[in-house]
Amino acid sequence: MIFSRHSVLKRGCSTWDKQQMPEEEYQGRLEVVRQQMDQQGLDALVIYGDNYSFADLCYLTNYFPKVRGGIAVVPRTGAISLLLNIGSRDVPFAKTLTWIEDVRASNQVGADGAKLLKEKGFEKARLGLVDSGQGFPLPQWEEMKSALPQVTWQSLHSLLQPIRLRKTARELAAMGAAGRLLREICQDAASVIKPGRKEYEIVADIDRLARNKGAEDIRILAGEKRLNPPSFKQAASIGSHWSVYFAVQHERYWAEAGRTYFLANDMKVQGAYGKAKEIVAAMAQQLKPNGAVAAIDETARKALGEFYATAAVYGIANGIGLNQWEAPFLSEGDAREVRASFVGATTLNEGMTLALRVTIESQGKIVLFGDSFQVTAGAGKLLMEG
Amino acid sequence: MNGQQEFENRLVKVRQAMREKGLQTLLVFDSGRHNFLRMNYVAYLTDFISVGPETMLVVPLEDEPVLFLAPAWDIPRAREESFVQTIKSFKELWPRLPNISGKIGLIGREAMHVDLHDEVARSLKQTPANAKDIIENMARCKTPFELERLRRAAAIADAGVSALHEDARPGLKEYELAAIVEHRMRSLGAEDNFGMVVANSHNQALHPATDRVVQPGDIIIGEITPCIGGLFVQICRTVVLGEPAPVVRQKYAILEKAMGLGMEAAQTGALASAVAVAINGAFVEAGYEKYCRPPFMRVRGHGLGCGSFAPGSLEDENKTRLEEGMTFIIHPNQYLPETGYLTLGDTVVMTATRAESLMKSSWELYVKN
Repeated sequence: MIFSRHSVLKRGCSTWDKQQMPEEEYQGRLEVVRQQMDQQGLDALVIYGDNYSFADLCYLTNYFPKVRGGIAVVPRTGAISLLLNIGSRDVPFAKTLTWIEDVRASNQVGADGAKLLKEKGFEKARLGLVDSGQGFPLPQWEEMKSALPQVTWQSLHSLLQPIRLRKTARELAAMGAAGRLLREICQDAASVIKPGRKEYEIVADIDRLARNKGAEDIRILAGEKRLNPPSFKQAASIGSHWSVYFAVQHERYWAEAGRTYFLANDMKVQGAYGKAKEIVAAMAQQLKPNGAVAAIDETARKALGEFYATAAVYGIANGIGLNQWEAPFLSEGDAREVRASFVGATTLNEGMTLALRVTIESQGKIVLFGDSFQVTAGAGKLLMEG
Repeated sequence: MNGQQEFENRLVKVRQAMREKGLQTLLVFDSGRHNFLRMNYVAYLTDFISVGPETMLVVPLEDEPVLFLAPAWDIPRAREESFVQTIKSFKELWPRLPNISGKIGLIGREAMHVDLHDEVARSLKQTPANAKDIIENMARCKTPFELERLRRAAAIADAGVSALHEDARPGLKEYELAAIVEHRMRSLGAEDNFGMVVANSHNQALHPATDRVVQPGDIIIGEITPCIGGLFVQICRTVVLGEPAPVVRQKYAILEKAMGLGMEAAQTGALASAVAVAINGAFVEAGYEKYCRPPFMRVRGHGLGCGSFAPGSLEDENKTRLEEGMTFIIHPNQYLPETGYLTLGDTVVMTATRAESLMKSSWELYVKN
């Protein structure tokens, strides 16, 4: 899986496009989740999310933590509450990003979360804990649990993952918008990747391209020999080619791409890049309803041959949506790498969205090509064209 | 001092503390969830800032430390950037844990998930002792090596402010305004930024940028926090687009006065609370006592993490003594009913006697005509 340096603050454009994602979308999602709660015999769910992994929290509330984390308390009936690790002065802004009316500030989410659950009458309840990103800090969780000794807890970190697998029409539209934004960044990046420039200067330009287009977040890894996160240590001038991993978050949804930009002729590296593009295209052909998830991997394995092992280290494919890495995963190993509890699906369905990538390392150089796709009846459709 | 020497010194100090606590092995964890109000303990001991969700440094009392990390493809970067000789995939940690004997300490517990913690404890056949004070104590005061990075970050923060002065204008969207600052700082090597730059005729608080279009007369407030080598420096400034109403200058002058009083109160050996008391005094004197509490302000400054967060938050209850080498921000940021939220603040370093600003930007209200 490709990880990129996680920022201390999500500081890009933070708005809620209610035309694109109206409140009724969340009501529909809530109904489905509550059916699951009924089946599990739960009185309420406690969903944790933070600025690193917010998918489940956001799925029901539209809120994504900008810094640190928080919980949503979702009762089987009645209003959802959000308890966020923010200051009280930040509550009015937080409310602009969610339809939830009860938004509270706390600097001790564990202890205050327990108080909130007691206030709602859940001190002896059966509660489900959803923390698919495994971010709930241990001391906070211990505080919450110890303050509620009569609660029966059930770990349900994967509860929402099957529900989130197939994107709704509105989600696909949102991901299409993220994809189009990313397409522009990939195109415009070519004009700033020039010989003689320092790596971090180019990263700064690409970062600005994204932020000026309203991205909520942008992740960049780049290099000639390997993929590096932005660092003052990466001050060398770029050489003959530069591979770039881009991930952009826009209106909560991620899109991912990989590109290699050439500054000089190098037939061997250019040939490898051409091969990477062909393999991604072949993998995208597998993205059909009822197709096997494993077929994506098999396609890559056959086409990559000896290069498969190193390409697999970076991940060949994974689901993408409210999370950069979500189900379906190609293998248990990939799922474990992001601490997901299972692959999510073995068969593709219409409306699933996946990031595909091929990374080829050869003679100390790296090339990367990748894109984000939607599963459709006619094979994978580029989100960038969505 | 070169980096190698710095990190060897840190390791020597860690081992000394391990001996005092009777620890045979220390586990130091980072989750990749970087937080500028918390230390990155792994980075402190290795100079490597992780991108993945699991990084564990194993420090035996006698043998060489080993860094285990995921994703495996990032191992070459760790080899190049860190001062640890042996670096392995995180998967290789699991067979090693059962072979560790003796008393074990754990640092980074607060960044761990309960499932991972339980898995580690099961593998060790013991629950490791929380040992975070080992690093928290030794990192409180910055070394010359850290101060060199902090000064570089401070220069970048000043450059971010200059960019705002040069390029802010009506018609930009708020997120474009924020991007101006971000771009300048990243172009100079900043790795991250706890940055909020917003504009309004009456700001309620700082927040991440929206798509609001900046208007003539807007007050731009900024909290700008670049990072170099895992160390953050913060600067807070206020800019007005066009000649401000007299009340804005009048009220901003209270912040300048409060900032001066805060700097004066930040004497080496004084309590951190003294800074908060001095700043609050300026607002109380101006008739704003009831605004010296949330939601109208948060704290009067704070440590800046990923390095040490000491001395903590500058608030009335903080009885931490300010020590030479501590670095923190002093910021009398304040909501006032007549003007909205205004910002002013500098990162300072405690010298042998007092606080000295790391910043060069003027405290004055910047008026852009």
